[in-house]
Amino acid sequence: MEKKKGFIDIIAEKVWKFFSSVKLAVVLLIILAIVSVIGTVIQQNEAPETYLQEYSRTTVDIFEMLGFFDMYHTWWFVLLLFLLTANLTICTLDRFPHTWKIVTAPLKPIEDDGLKAVPFKKEISFKGGMDNAREHAMKVIRARGYRIVESRGADVLHLMTQKGLFSRFGVYITHVSILLIFIGALIGAFFGFKAFLNLPEGEATKVVYLRNEPMWDKLMAAFGIAESPVILSPEAGVPAMPLGYFVRCDSFDVDYYVSPSGMPTGMPSEYHSTLSVFDLNGRKIFDKRIRVNDPLTYQGITFYQSSYGTLPNAHGKVILNIRPKNDPQARGETITFDLGQAIYVPSIDRTIKVLNFEPYALRNPATGEVMLYQSERDEYINPAVQIEVYKGKSPIYKTIVLKTDPGQPDMPENYIISYRGYWGTRYTGLQVTKDPGVWIVYAGFIMLCLGPLVAFFGSHKKLWVRIQDRKGQTVVTVAGSASKNRLGFEREFNKIVEDISA
Amino acid sequence: MESSLLFNIATLSYLVAMVLYISYLAFKKNVIGKAASGVTYLGLVIQTIALLLRWRESYQMDIGRVPLSNLYESLVFFTWSMVLIYVIVEFKYKTRAFGAFVMPVAFLALAFINVSGVSSEITPLVPALKSNWLFYHVMISFLGYAAFGVAFAISMIYLLMDTEERGPAVNLLYALGAIVVLALLGYYMAGLGERMKTAFWMGIGVLILIWFIYLIVAGAKNRPQVFLFWSLCVTLAIGLLAAMAIDFFYLITLKHLAAGESFKKHMFESTFLNSSISIVLVSWAAVMGLFGLVWSQGMRLKNLLKQYMPAQDQLDDVTYRMIAIGWPLLTGGIITGAVWANSAWGTYWGWDPKETWSLITWFIYAIYLHARYVRGWKGTQMAVISAVGFLAVIFTYLGVNLVLSGLHSYGGMN
Ligand code: HEM
Repeated sequence: MEKKKGFIDIIAEKVWKFFSSVKLAVVLLIILAIVSVIGTVIQQNEAPETYLQEYSRTTVDIFEMLGFFDMYHTWWFVLLLFLLTANLTICTLDRFPHTWKIVTAPLKPIEDDGLKAVPFKKEISFKGGMDNAREHAMKVIRARGYRIVESRGADVLHLMTQKGLFSRFGVYITHVSILLIFIGALIGAFFGFKAFLNLPEGEATKVVYLRNEPMWDKLMAAFGIAESPVILSPEAGVPAMPLGYFVRCDSFDVDYYVSPSGMPTGMPSEYHSTLSVFDLNGRKIFDKRIRVNDPLTYQGITFYQSSYGTLPNAHGKVILNIRPKNDPQARGETITFDLGQAIYVPSIDRTIKVLNFEPYALRNPATGEVMLYQSERDEYINPAVQIEVYKGKSPIYKTIVLKTDPGQPDMPENYIISYRGYWGTRYTGLQVTKDPGVWIVYAGFIMLCLGPLVAFFGSHKKLWVRIQDRKGQTVVTVAGSASKNRLGFEREFNKIVEDISA
Repeated sequence: MESSLLFNIATLSYLVAMVLYISYLAFKKNVIGKAASGVTYLGLVIQTIALLLRWRESYQMDIGRVPLSNLYESLVFFTWSMVLIYVIVEFKYKTRAFGAFVMPVAFLALAFINVSGVSSEITPLVPALKSNWLFYHVMISFLGYAAFGVAFAISMIYLLMDTEERGPAVNLLYALGAIVVLALLGYYMAGLGERMKTAFWMGIGVLILIWFIYLIVAGAKNRPQVFLFWSLCVTLAIGLLAAMAIDFFYLITLKHLAAGESFKKHMFESTFLNSSISIVLVSWAAVMGLFGLVWSQGMRLKNLLKQYMPAQDQLDDVTYRMIAIGWPLLTGGIITGAVWANSAWGTYWGWDPKETWSLITWFIYAIYLHARYVRGWKGTQMAVISAVGFLAVIFTYLGVNLVLSGLHSYGGMN
């Protein structure tokens, strides 16, 4: 007796069916493709004033309500992604058992009614008896790299073979990869954060400023379960995340491309900061020189070089190097000056006074004349330092040293003074992130690269050869099917049939 | 620079090959077909040498890096990969019939490079772009785009072959009427300021979208609409090519556009955006004439092509194969981009317009891949999706840079 289905069962079945349909997948993908456009047309996450300049008050209000200014994080967009994931999960659960059965099922001899369902088949009459036919067919099929299973009956002999079983899993590898990426992204949103830090040269910090607070902390705090580690100090304005250690910017510098004639172009080629990490007791743990594309990571938190800038009204220190003229290998002596400061250098018995600093200067190599240029955005494109050298109290000469110098600075005595840096007026702009989900996302990426290849370029091919004795006449029936690339398989199939009948 | 000369020769070869492939279809002479293939191979070889030379030149200039990092270089690489894929298809399927459709796209891209005055200077890279991922990212993406380009060309053939009749002439009148109304509205709204212009383009986008969805969902039952879509795609391709060629002669020859000056500001200035109202009218009349011509001669073209074309299911199969090549490559391109962004900024996905558009393109081709499993969606719908996918590719590739703003360095045309 059949059990009557309860209301719940019917609903569950309906829901299951709804979520396992490819039609839903196509509809969701269409909707996602369409709504994603919105956020590319409307600038995302701008300041409210910017929007008011572009749109009218009512438009801004409507867009605000719909979440168009941060569209990819609105509840409805995330819901769409969740629906796609649910669709994907249930579709996979729904179909995988079937695929598993196909893959694990042993090959069965093909009979007349089975033949009807097979897309490719051909009957050949063979001259030379069943054993000869068997021998010949095996040779033809083996030559194509198939491994053969055999079964015998009365007056009938079956050869069966298949290839490319694994290709059936390509779709699952692909689909699971999407799930992994989604899970990894969720873990990142719940347990990771994105922050920034503008750190002046010489300064240290134990907090970074958040762009995204970890969702988990927010939830815990909202339910009163645990306090969020995030510090909301009114004067900073931006929520701060404690690092659990100190980071200090020891120094920061920018390199610029140099033109073929040796002049700096003002186009940055690289910028880098030397960062030191200290524990909370002030003990130094390590340092690293970071560049764009080469970050520092400590305790799961990564610091990326992302920008830089000049501090207003900061007084920098000039760093100069003094070495003997006749010994280019010598490391010399490196001294740090305040602007206007005079320091006695015992090794050369001279007092050096730094007169001023210019961010952008070039020397004409022919005349030796130094020209000053306006530097946009306060970039230190090619700094120049004017110095005066004293013997005792009496000035001997003045000269200008440049960072990159296509000519020669005026150095009458037997030592060379060179420019090493201008320290303490700039800050390094760092992106700081913690993303514990990124490895799951990467695992998903790898699977997403491989899965489609397996799905598209593999094919599960099956071949059957039935050899019958019909009243002394040997009849060979060849049948085959392929899960992919039918046209290609048809060609292979026809060739096999041709070879067997030859 | 010797590489620029070689690139020009390659462009010329593709133009000649395009003419030859089209003549091959028109005159059905085998000699012409062979000549077309020969010229294509020659162009490909020359372009390959040019690419390698350019790479070497960058090392001689001491900025050594892969020739793939600005708009110019990526466009050049795009055409190269597309022609390469086409040559493989021609070889494998032993038919020259696709050439007349693929070579125009290749030439169109190269012509765009020349016309748009996209700077061909080998410029040093900004720090964020100094990464090995850049090479993989750009190369993989462009190979994918090229495969989609071939898929597009074949889908166009499919749609033409699929059409039994072009439908009543009143369809053409409606379409032309719609073009007139929209063009007038566009000029009017653009005159009201930037915001109205944006609103106009968004409106157009929505209309086109609705039409696409209609075509995909109900297209197979309304063949004349599909034929209209086909005519539009072909008109767009030819019209864009012609308009840019005119711009080229007008701006470079007559107005002496300074080398390196951004063409973006001048695009369509010699036609649709000319200061003389009569030239604008003539341009629109020419487009409408072209549309009418394509629409009215489509059937003739079909009859001409019919004897060269493989069976429809084979066209469908080749399209699927091309997308089966292109989609994993696009996936790889998106992933390498994400990994690169993560290593540079600590964020693998930031929803910037370029990223998002590549994802939209990816969604569209994912729709293509799954639509096969939806009952009742067959060849016609698939070909329409493939065409829409390629329109999205073009937008991802150029439109985002020209229209929307974002992180990517190809953004500035100079
Ligand atoms: C972004 C999400 C998705 C991606 C990237 C994706 C990717 C793929 C790929 C690459 C294939 C192979 C296509 C082919 O062999 O031609 C495939 C097949 C398939 N997908 Fe998806 N898919 C996605 C979402 C979904 C969803 C939500 C469903 C839910 C119903 C689904 C159902 C299927 C089915 C039924 C197949 C055919 C399986 C077969 O060949 O037996 N996919 N998918």
